[in-house]
Amino acid sequence: MPTLREVQSAFARGLIARDTGLAAPFVVEDESIAAAERLGIYRNTFVGTLIQALRNTYPAIERLVGAPFFEGAATVFVGQHPPLGAYLNEYGGEFGDFLAGFAPAASLAYLPDVARLEWVLSSIANAPDAPVLEPAALGSLSEAEQGLVRFEPHPAVRLVRLAFDADVIRQTVIRHDEDSFKGFAPDPQPFWLLAQREGLEPVMRRMTDAEADTTRALFAGQTLAEILTPESMEAQVSVLADHLAHGRFAGFAVAGAA
Amino acid sequence: MSPIPAKAGIGLRFQHHRAVLEDRPPVGWLEVHTENYMGGGVPLDFLERIRRDYPISMHGVGLSLGSADGLDDAHLGRVAAAVARIEPGLVSEHLSWSTAAGHYLADLLPLPLTEEALDIVCANVARFQERLGRRVLVENPSSYLRFAHSTIPEWEFIAAVARRTGCGILCDVNNIFVSACNHGWDPLVYLDALDPATIGEIHLAGHSFKTLANGATIRIDDHGSAVIDEVWNLYVEAIARLGAVPTLIERDNNVPPLAELVAEADHAAGLLARAHGLHDAHAA
Repeated sequence: MPTLREVQSAFARGLIARDTGLAAPFVVEDESIAAAERLGIYRNTFVGTLIQALRNTYPAIERLVGAPFFEGAATVFVGQHPPLGAYLNEYGGEFGDFLAGFAPAASLAYLPDVARLEWVLSSIANAPDAPVLEPAALGSLSEAEQGLVRFEPHPAVRLVRLAFDADVIRQTVIRHDEDSFKGFAPDPQPFWLLAQREGLEPVMRRMTDAEADTTRALFAGQTLAEILTPESMEAQVSVLADHLAHGRFAGFAVAGAA
Repeated sequence: MSPIPAKAGIGLRFQHHRAVLEDRPPVGWLEVHTENYMGGGVPLDFLERIRRDYPISMHGVGLSLGSADGLDDAHLGRVAAAVARIEPGLVSEHLSWSTAAGHYLADLLPLPLTEEALDIVCANVARFQERLGRRVLVENPSSYLRFAHSTIPEWEFIAAVARRTGCGILCDVNNIFVSACNHGWDPLVYLDALDPATIGEIHLAGHSFKTLANGATIRIDDHGSAVIDEVWNLYVEAIARLGAVPTLIERDNNVPPLAELVAEADHAAGLLARAHGLHDAHAA
């Protein structure tokens, strides 16, 4: 008698590899329905559920390429990237990189970046709730302590490097404003985009390279003493103030403090 | 925590969040999929407001109680956090598996019904209950195949899980009907094998027919249509045996306007009232 682990391993490999023959020897055969057909029902649910999960996360991609193309690409993706966990809001983060190497989509150079943006927006929409750091909480720190502050980014904030005007394309497509897309030539120049869930709404804004440098250092947990430089201090403090005003931190710690 | 009453409820889906808040439909309770409320933001904000007015049940689809690898710690932790936040009246999962060798297979997959599988399911259910610090319900699945080495009828298997772990059973009447049709079982034998004291909830849903390449048909539990008459008839048999049990109308595909689900819940409530003399089995 096969062990449960043996059955589940064969079943799983068969679903992912589209090979109903792997688990068929364990399944009751009858004259009306072959084991492979019965296993195929589960295979269809496996792929269909994951395509729907990707569709939920990447609506602009589906609209850009059309449903049949999207389903074809998603089916290949599912075979190469089966989910590692049951929380499907975390599934599909590699879809942008996958599209970058997906030959049938090679003519749409902007597609991977639009997908990366949609993944960021999905991530911030589903991020856990967390309290926002109130600027007043920093008021009691001494000047020496202020230099040692490390900020904790809010879980619903992301800074991402994109290109091809991915934010403009997504906005246009989601608003069904395809007419304004005609003749539009996406700029391949990379840019930084800050995305956050502010209240319950997604908000995006582009950042300059200098703003992004300061933001990346803050989000990476560097201390203010490590980040701030005399020649850029005013602009850097302005970036910090903007983050505090818009609730982009969840907390802070003072380096070296117990 | 608001206990789930012995009334009819409906599955709460994202499409109906706003309508439930605005219209306050007359149903006794609501059930959500646990995995849909593991993050923050909009879904959780709606649920936090809705739960002020309705008892909530949380029904998981991803814990994989039948996995030979045991439960996924990360997913168990997410379930526990969601349950701690929402404080549902009932928590349920499925007699099935969905993870193996580190992959999630996005379906409620059938188990070989063996003594080994029974031991594994019982160990996983016990761990689930211990982590939550409460009794959970385990739902009988729909299935489209049987394993050649199974030795225990499904109704005896799930009854044994309840007996050995102290968990309750979520009796899905549509699933019994679908599996009975697909495998040639007698659904009344299934119902008769269940101890009424273990039944914490009943599910009702619609299903579809799939025609295979050779012309044979199989019933698919797709939750994409209204409950059919044969399943309503089996529900009457179920509540005659199992008592007045909280009953849920489930719909996950082709989700209709809220009023259609409320009408189905109203029908279930009427049958509950007729069977058990309840005067008001639907209103909250």
